[in-house]
Amino acid sequence: MVRAPGSAGARLLRRARLQLNDYPADAAWSADARALLVAGGQGQLLWVDLVASTPRLQVLGVHQGGVLAVACQSAGRLFASSGQDGEVRLWDAKTRESQCIHAGDEWSEQLAFAGHGRLLAVSTGRALRVFDNTGTVRAQLPDHSGVIAALAWRPKSHELSAVGNGGAHLHRLEPQVQTREYPWTGACLTASWSPDGRVLASGMQDGAVHYWNIAADSQSQMKGYGTKVALTSWSANSRLLATAADQQIVIWDFSGRGPEGSEPRQLAAHTARLTQLAFQPQGTLLVSGARDRRISLWRPSQSIEPCDADLLSDAVTLLRWSNDGSQLAVGDQSGALSVYTLGS
Amino acid sequence: MSGKIPVTVLTGFLGSGKTTLLNRILSEQHGKRIAVIENEFGEVAVDHELVIGAQEEIFETANGCICCTVRGDLIRVLKALRKRRDRFDYILIETTGLADPGPVAQTFFADEDLREDYQLDAIVALVDAAHITQQLSREAIAAEQVGFADVLLLNKTDLVSAAELTRVERSLRAINATARIIRTLRAELPLAQVLDLGAFDLNRALAMDSDFLEPQRPFEWAGVYHRAAGRHDVHVGADSAGHGHGHDHANTHEHHGEHATAPGGLSAVGVVVLAAPAGAGSAAVEGIAATLEAATALFGQAAEPLAPGANLLPGRHQRLSLSAHDHFGLLLPAAGHWLVYTEHAPLEFGWRLQGEAPVAEREFGSHHHDSAITSIGISDARPLDPNKVNDWLSYLLQSRGADILRMKGVLNFKGEARRYVFHGVHMIFDGQLERPWASAPRTNRVVFIGRKLDRHEFEAGFESCVA
Repeated sequence: MVRAPGSAGARLLRRARLQLNDYPADAAWSADARALLVAGGQGQLLWVDLVASTPRLQVLGVHQGGVLAVACQSAGRLFASSGQDGEVRLWDAKTRESQCIHAGDEWSEQLAFAGHGRLLAVSTGRALRVFDNTGTVRAQLPDHSGVIAALAWRPKSHELSAVGNGGAHLHRLEPQVQTREYPWTGACLTASWSPDGRVLASGMQDGAVHYWNIAADSQSQMKGYGTKVALTSWSANSRLLATAADQQIVIWDFSGRGPEGSEPRQLAAHTARLTQLAFQPQGTLLVSGARDRRISLWRPSQSIEPCDADLLSDAVTLLRWSNDGSQLAVGDQSGALSVYTLGS
Repeated sequence: MSGKIPVTVLTGFLGSGKTTLLNRILSEQHGKRIAVIENEFGEVAVDHELVIGAQEEIFETANGCICCTVRGDLIRVLKALRKRRDRFDYILIETTGLADPGPVAQTFFADEDLREDYQLDAIVALVDAAHITQQLSREAIAAEQVGFADVLLLNKTDLVSAAELTRVERSLRAINATARIIRTLRAELPLAQVLDLGAFDLNRALAMDSDFLEPQRPFEWAGVYHRAAGRHDVHVGADSAGHGHGHDHANTHEHHGEHATAPGGLSAVGVVVLAAPAGAGSAAVEGIAATLEAATALFGQAAEPLAPGANLLPGRHQRLSLSAHDHFGLLLPAAGHWLVYTEHAPLEFGWRLQGEAPVAEREFGSHHHDSAITSIGISDARPLDPNKVNDWLSYLLQSRGADILRMKGVLNFKGEARRYVFHGVHMIFDGQLERPWASAPRTNRVVFIGRKLDRHEFEAGFESCVA
């Protein structure tokens, strides 16, 4: 394990590592954080049971051509998968059985369970459907102007946001469907809600971060990135927005009058392009992963130096915090999956 | 470079033969596992597991710069495919007939995900020999596709006459001077001519058309005739052209409509007749080489208009006024070899001189352009100052980036043992010092392909770089 000299605070403790024999394309923790569902880029849908001292790997099924996305209910036992075979499947974690809830030629690339767990949003190109937990379509929402690049449920609400080329849509589902459009010239790549549900931030293809303060009915943009901004993540207290482009992490402070006119904090930890960036769901830690095979752990509210880092055997492809923020799953391009806990 | 997956982009109008070519590539034994991204749906007959349909999606930017425009669909699909890369080692993208190749090419340089994993190999444009003339005159995008291409497959060559084929090839060449032009029937050709070309790879030598890099001439054609002394009939117009190739022009040049004009829409054409120098008669081609400068000088003088029935005379710059069919004369003072230089290719105005065909002929780069897109080539041996080159190219990228589709070049830097090689797509530029000149002649060769390019501007820019 590589340790940053003079670091203080949290440490990464690797508790498990296993070979998936597939490309870790996406992953989701089970609601109880005892298992991890992994999307294999080459087609396998994998269930990794982490309760035993040695993790057990089970192939649940196959999406011919590659699994694109997976999602788990944050409370409950349902999870969903989609693949290059054009199918979306809804699974029961207890019985390990599934039903196909959507099939077509076009890929369904984004899956998102609502926080309350009763609804699953699925984007298929420009189309957006919402299923209930029996797999029935509850709503077919108006098509987006471009292919939907990211989906996110607005915290503490029944609203669903979708972003893509040309801006964002915000769909209110109850009592009846009502859609508000937030047009913007440019291609939105990510959708990150501040946990207080006030601000929707999006990384842009043209090297900027656009945000809509929905609560205040205003919008603004942070520019100056050299490349596209493919990663955005909010701190649990809704104060800090972490963004990444190329090898740089840029932290914007939304407290007070910020971030307009403020100087962001910059964290330079990687020697190749970042692929993953995620704030701890509860707590103040931030983790980043890059093509330089490194993951770094930060506490950006206190320091621009990393608390800890670890070197993997290949480029980092995914980082997923468990819902309680106590465990971290890391996938790399060699097909390995590592699970970390935190120490001090 | 290693480990990057090569990508070939197929462009061309609907009906030009893209699907035929694609099907041939997929069904042929070439040892490659090819994944296909199709923007045009449902036409690939082969039931191939790695054919992926994706609707074209243009990502524009807030600043509106076309040089920053990329293709979102390609980023999305290629990112997903990368995760199963063990199952393929080559990518083919079939664009729609109306797709602009600019954003497609830019995506591979401007998007980091794609730049790290993929290498644009070449842009191949299929051209329907029977319809391209009309398409070029009606659809701006046809010229863009021709202008961007590294390879032009002139397909369906069985549907037009040899003369028309030559004419089409010349108009393609006028737009894009560096693309390799390959004539095909039903898109049949060795796959090595379209795959693994390395057209964007600076490490490979740049193939350039040597003819193009000659100084441009005010004429497009020279022919050597052997004739007796006296008056010979000259016939211009559609009837004499032999193949009636003019009829599809007639549609495209209606706007000339004041009076009937010759095929090609030309109302007049400059001609210069010169005697072959003594001793050059047996080697007629040498006669052309020996009189090139004299002909160029004469074309530089004001032309005398020539009405139908009047005579062409040696040693003058005369201008035949053209209508649908007309007769002129050629009056020769002595028997022997005579050179005829014409402003436009003979096929374009139906030139025919009574008697035997020319004993030798030669074509020169086209200098009149049906299309707003043209090529400018500069070939010059003088050593250049790298700093001045940098200033010039930076200026060009910033001020003309939107108009320049492609640029490439090999440069001779003063005091540098290695050649400097560069290429560009709109504002995206890549250049590096490459292998040494060694015994090869040190010379600069540069080509720009783009819209509204002024040759003098580029020549002056080049001149400013001389060390």
